[in-house]
Amino acid sequence: MLKTFWDIIKTTVIALPIGLYTTFKHVFKKPVTKKYPKAKSEMMPRYRGLHYLERYDDGTERCVCCGLCAAACPADAIYMEPDENEKGERFAKVYEINMIRCIFCGFCEEACPEEAIFLGHEFELANDNRDGFIYSKDDMLVEHPRKDRPYKTIYRRTRRHSM
Amino acid sequence: MQGRNGLPVCVKNMSDNGKEKEQVTLTIDGKEISVDKGTTVLDAATLMGIHIPTFCWHPKLDSIGACRMCLVDVEKFPKPAVACATEAMPGMIVRTDTDEIVKARRGVLEFMLLNHPLDCPTCDKGGECDLQDNVFHYGIDKSRQAFTRRRVIDDQTTDAFDDKRIGPEIIRNMNRCVTCYKCIRFNKEIAGEYDLGAYERGNHTVIDAAPGEQIDNFYSGNVVEICPVGALTNTDWRYKIRNWKAKQTLSLCSHDADGQNIMLWHDQRQLWRATSRRNDDIDDGWICNIARYGYQYINSPDRLKTPLIKKEGKQVPASWDEAISLISKRFKEIKDSKGSVCLAGLIGGNQSVETAYLFNKFFRNKLHTNNLDYRLEYIDLKGSDETEAYNCLYRAPFTIADLEQADVVFVFGSNFIKDHPAINLRLRKAYRKFGTKVYTANPVETKSADISLDEMIYSPDTETAFIAGLIHAIIDNKYYKNIDETKAAEVKTMLAPATLDEAARLCGIEQERIVNLAKVLSEANNPYILAGDYFVASAKRHRTANGMYDLANLLGIKDSNAIILASQANSMGADRVGVRPRLTENLKKTLIDKWGEELPESPGSNTSQILNNSLDEEIDGLFILGANPAMRYPDGPFVNSALDKLDFLVVADLFETATSAKADVVLPLAGWAEQSGAYVNVEGRYQKFEKAQDADKGIKSGIEIIHSIARAMDLSLNLDNAALMHETKDIVDAFEREARDEAKFFEVKQAQIPEHDNYPYRLLVGNDIHHFGYVTEHCPSLMRFTPEPYLEISPNLAEKLGIDEETLVRIESTTGKLVLKARFSEYFEGDVLFIPNNFSATEVTGLVSREGGGWVKIEKLDDK
Ligand code: SF4
Ligand code: SF4
Ligand code: SF4
Ligand code: FES
Repeated sequence: MLKTFWDIIKTTVIALPIGLYTTFKHVFKKPVTKKYPKAKSEMMPRYRGLHYLERYDDGTERCVCCGLCAAACPADAIYMEPDENEKGERFAKVYEINMIRCIFCGFCEEACPEEAIFLGHEFELANDNRDGFIYSKDDMLVEHPRKDRPYKTIYRRTRRHSM
Repeated sequence: MQGRNGLPVCVKNMSDNGKEKEQVTLTIDGKEISVDKGTTVLDAATLMGIHIPTFCWHPKLDSIGACRMCLVDVEKFPKPAVACATEAMPGMIVRTDTDEIVKARRGVLEFMLLNHPLDCPTCDKGGECDLQDNVFHYGIDKSRQAFTRRRVIDDQTTDAFDDKRIGPEIIRNMNRCVTCYKCIRFNKEIAGEYDLGAYERGNHTVIDAAPGEQIDNFYSGNVVEICPVGALTNTDWRYKIRNWKAKQTLSLCSHDADGQNIMLWHDQRQLWRATSRRNDDIDDGWICNIARYGYQYINSPDRLKTPLIKKEGKQVPASWDEAISLISKRFKEIKDSKGSVCLAGLIGGNQSVETAYLFNKFFRNKLHTNNLDYRLEYIDLKGSDETEAYNCLYRAPFTIADLEQADVVFVFGSNFIKDHPAINLRLRKAYRKFGTKVYTANPVETKSADISLDEMIYSPDTETAFIAGLIHAIIDNKYYKNIDETKAAEVKTMLAPATLDEAARLCGIEQERIVNLAKVLSEANNPYILAGDYFVASAKRHRTANGMYDLANLLGIKDSNAIILASQANSMGADRVGVRPRLTENLKKTLIDKWGEELPESPGSNTSQILNNSLDEEIDGLFILGANPAMRYPDGPFVNSALDKLDFLVVADLFETATSAKADVVLPLAGWAEQSGAYVNVEGRYQKFEKAQDADKGIKSGIEIIHSIARAMDLSLNLDNAALMHETKDIVDAFEREARDEAKFFEVKQAQIPEHDNYPYRLLVGNDIHHFGYVTEHCPSLMRFTPEPYLEISPNLAEKLGIDEETLVRIESTTGKLVLKARFSEYFEGDVLFIPNNFSATEVTGLVSREGGGWVKIEKLDDK
């Protein structure tokens, strides 16, 4: 069907400015995207990113290598080898999480009886080497004394206490 | 019937001794059940499938009602009663699940948790802990106490972790203990040991070894297993792997001949621990430390990983192809040029019965030689096979569990705790529960003294005289059965020494004691005679075996009740599938049937003849599979020169050993946990074990090695693994022993005791209590019990010679000399010495001559 003259006028002269109006309207608004990687967004408090391992205030590692996180992990991403320290206490000689397998469900954090492992806000996990995805204890332990990173607020004191 | 934890309920075992029992009927949770009189309410409930939580109850221990966890409600009882210690009575009405009972049990648990540190994350028992399970079940998740918990720290000066090492292997954490006293009860009731005790009372109870002592008894590993919580743990499993991570494989102890059933826990190509797998017919659920820790050699870093070939006097690594083709080439050469009689094979007693059978088939059927043996530790000067009497007693159809029905057991020449851990415990059980009388006759005092009514110590090398004396006593006093006087008089003429008096004088035991033993044996309804390792290791064992045969016939002792006990995990299996030069007619027939071919004609040689013949250059090629005669066979220098003389020696073993050092080709061999197979234990019981882990890439199993040599020699054995398994099982099943001939009597003549004027002390060589064979020195846990070789000496003798504990002593015999540290024996009293031959660092066998055992002199080495 042949287009009428008015049809042509409607789609160009009138519709174009209307559409461009929307565009120009947003040019002067504050953008919603971030200039990643120059700027990074603040994650939600309960965001589950890269794991970190906590320490006690005196610097000793909280993790005792009990294996409960590995037992809870649905992706079988956690591997550990316990050992005995000079004091005769149990500690993790090897503690590794395979970040390719991990589904960031946070079950490990839930399971941990020592409040040793948490999922933090770190999300930049890309790597060009598969081995680079195996995070060892050194990669995950927080430094001591802790400089700027605050302790994670614990959101899970909700179990009903009954007897 | 399966009970708690999948264990079979043992109500029957606990209450009867083969006799029918009166029945009582009671009601539990509304259902009626009839049980034997004497059964506890707990066992009755378990039979009905009702679970009652327990801590201190154990099916094999007497109930003491210490923990109060098993409370139940019994009608007309004023208070809840403990089910484990309440006997079922007719008309009793029991409830196990009322609210009141649940409350009572929660109360008990709360008290148990009063001082409990709640350190499950670090506790090795976590995941298999009764306290965890019960607390979880009763939902106690909140503490009501406002005071601090008791904490038992051994060293008050430090804030160290609360574990205390109370033995070479055992670690105690008192905070976790629920004072069920199972550990102490096991030690006392079952093992007869008193090295663990409870100190203080109530809340302050401490389980500990006696001051200055350690808990290091031979069964000590069991306390870790029966502790319901993590109060007792061991180094072996300490902080290794969580139990739910480890896979479990059914296995057997690979060392001694009792065939104790174990469970191997493994993961990531590593064995982590062994626990017992209760088998009431054999071990009752208690295993010795060797069974528990003796698996560790499999994971040793010293394992051989690649074949070695001797080139210009040095062993260098080579590939499997190279090694196998060299073996096949040399074996072929020897066979073609000198005949198959110049080839021989020796196999260790802990290779699986399948390996032993294939070995037999390879040598007999393919290489056509009868030069085969599995007895690599004992002297055998008697020609190509043992005597008739010896064989008959060796293969007696004995059952361990039947010992409970014995009324008299005569242990002849055995330190049972060392040689036969399971039989030892069974004997103790028979003694404790059923009043079995035990008599022992040994060359030295042993651990069994406490259950023995008369412990006779005969002078070294006079066991034949002793048994001749016993026969004299029987004939003189007319204790014999089944024969008439003329026959008895005839038997008496076949004895040397010719009178009881002489015999008693020679073996140094008073006549009355021998007569008394004869009397007790003749009056018994179901007497047993068990001969063990001292007997087997004695040089003139054939003469003594004749005596034992006569004795059994004179007293009409049942065929199954007089036995010479085999010594290694598969000694009996190797015997049954015919790894020995001469075969029984029955076995010959079976083999000809299976192979469809006649067996080779030549008479064949046993171990000592093979070694002798190699010295005479009549044997050129020898294949040793999993054995170390250079370290274990008596007369080290002789064995070494025999091995040196060989043209071609192939040794397949797990480790580099004194024997493999002489080999032209060394092949790395897989251990028992790296293959599946079966062992035939001392009773002739065929038991399977499963493969727990894959062997390293460069390691092959005995079966693979034999197959590949055969293939390279163009001899097809034509047996895949399944067929091999079936065929072996058939042959073991078809084995028939020639029964003891009741009318037959053999000569019993004491041999001349060799002159040993300048060498006054008798040396016994054998296994240390915590070692077995030559592989256990690769087990770190066992090395913690006995880390180094020693000279065991009686305190009396030591005092006489001015020897202290730990002083260096030079030991010298006609064949060799050695310097060792002295150690006072707990048992020895006379002029007898003992050295373990489990350590490759000492060549103990160099001190022992083949003809007459070891006579030595010792002197203190001056301190330098
Ligand atoms: S976040 Fe989930 S998947 Fe990842 S390691 Fe923890 S439990 Fe495993
Ligand atoms: S992180 Fe927590 S749960 Fe995981 S092993 Fe360590 S202590 Fe146990
Ligand atoms: S240490 Fe273990 S077995 Fe011994 S009394 Fe305590 S809880 Fe019972
Ligand atoms: S199990 Fe009955 S009182 Fe302990």
